[in-house]
Amino acid sequence: MNINAQSEIGTVVSNERGAKDIWEMELIAPKIASDTLPGQFVHIRCNPGFNPLLRRPMSIGPVVKDKFSLIYAVHGEGTRLLTEKKTGDKIDLIGPLGNSFTKPDQDVTAIYVAGGIGVVPLLSCYDLQADPDNAHFILGARSMMYMPISEKDVIQRNVMISTDDGSIGHHGNVIQLLEQIVGDIKSKYIKVYGCGPTPMMSALKKYCVEHSISAELSLEVPMGCAVGACQSCAVRRADGNGYYLVCRDGPVFPIEEVVI
Amino acid sequence: MVDHKKVDLTISSDGMNLVTPLMTASGTFGYGDEYKGIIDYSLIGGIVTKSLSLLPRPGNPPPRICETSCGGAINSIGLANPGVDEFMEKKLAILPTSETKVYLSIVGEAVEEFVRLTEKLEVVETISGYELNLSCPNVKRGGLDLGADSQAVAAIVKAVRETTDRFFSVKLTPNQPDIGRLAESAAHAGADALTLVNTLIGMSIDTEKRKPRLGSITGGYSGPPIKPVALANVYKAAQIVDIPIWASGGIVSGKDGIDFLLAGATTLQLGTVLFVDPQAPERILAEMTDYCVRHGIESIGDLIGALDTSIV
Repeated sequence: MNINAQSEIGTVVSNERGAKDIWEMELIAPKIASDTLPGQFVHIRCNPGFNPLLRRPMSIGPVVKDKFSLIYAVHGEGTRLLTEKKTGDKIDLIGPLGNSFTKPDQDVTAIYVAGGIGVVPLLSCYDLQADPDNAHFILGARSMMYMPISEKDVIQRNVMISTDDGSIGHHGNVIQLLEQIVGDIKSKYIKVYGCGPTPMMSALKKYCVEHSISAELSLEVPMGCAVGACQSCAVRRADGNGYYLVCRDGPVFPIEEVVI
Repeated sequence: MVDHKKVDLTISSDGMNLVTPLMTASGTFGYGDEYKGIIDYSLIGGIVTKSLSLLPRPGNPPPRICETSCGGAINSIGLANPGVDEFMEKKLAILPTSETKVYLSIVGEAVEEFVRLTEKLEVVETISGYELNLSCPNVKRGGLDLGADSQAVAAIVKAVRETTDRFFSVKLTPNQPDIGRLAESAAHAGADALTLVNTLIGMSIDTEKRKPRLGSITGGYSGPPIKPVALANVYKAAQIVDIPIWASGGIVSGKDGIDFLLAGATTLQLGTVLFVDPQAPERILAEMTDYCVRHGIESIGDLIGALDTSIV
């Protein structure tokens, strides 16, 4: 049961294309904004009708007073319909849903590892929980054209970038950047926070397990109700005892607890 | 808000008194507490819980849900549930105790499992009855295998009838050639009501990746596109049996609800629509009330089976 989750009709403040197939929507939703912890998500109804049918779970970006941002990739009819929302349009939300990232202890170096729009929950996680002098932020994208956040956001958080084609930042992947950082860090304690496409999360898990690095990952899977009723969003438990639900038990999991 | 004063929305039939004709469909509403704070329970006549089995079931491998391009969804949960013992230990306390009635959905692989489940649950005082799930398309044994065979249906219903005096409905599958025969078997064996219908067997493919979009490849198709199939099943069964029919299948609007009542349903189960629009109970009741006011209907129960087929 999500104690704080509620239905709220949000109002669109802005909705603009930020990169190729990636849009950013700013919303006013005071009830959800006032309750949100970093890593939580909203279940958003893309259109008032019933086709496309299901809501879309989306991570809540940085909250400013009664507003927050969603960054979404357009890859189907639901998200395409979202791009048609104009300033002042209403949007049906349920949230805030799910658990949140834990705050790193004081002597721990936090490393945020994002892939594409997986950057969204890590932005607020970094802003609210990180000590900038003892934190690193890595973001991977296909190419410069697909950068999900603005230059301002990149500079503000000193984000290191990798792209598959080398069009900006490191030519390669986030794991290579992570290796560099971990190699340079003098701190004994490291904690990794990750969110991104499943293949990246699998690679991140492999790296962290091999190097005995503690990590939390936020997972994305197809979802139905998002409140734990339908049990659609299952992820296999690492202890062999069946499944966790991403909506109720996650979306953030300690890396050793789930099979990805 | 729905003006209850305008139209009597209560449903009263033998052994069943509900504050509204709306119910929740099994598997879409957990054990009744997941939607607290989001859905107004006072608008729901009856909650049917997620199916319980004798032993815990982990459920099917993910992905467990996908959308279809025509406005439906396909799921394959595989009856994931904690088993009856853990349910009685941990979940009983969360069942709603308001005017909303609670019906426990039970599922088994054989007659004996249904009997054992009912025996164990008889001590639970806060429930109004059961719904026997004889129609899950997502398990290899039990469920649909039993549910499409009228003799097996009759055997299970008869055995449960001998175990309990409580009200129970039998949820049947649309994946069969003759709903009339199944409905008759269940009613004759002692069912108090029928739930029509469970999901249709469906499949979806990620064409680019050449992969099925569900871990179990096929699943149960639900949502607005299956309404005509559900409606036909309700209508056909209502021509044959006298017991109440709990309609389930693609109800998203007041019009859908009225259509099912006209076809012979007594109650209306909301399932997939709750994922999309948790405010659906209020909206659907308001739309049905409007219909009744426009047509001079004082009690919504007057619409049950009131289809005029003479004009066809």
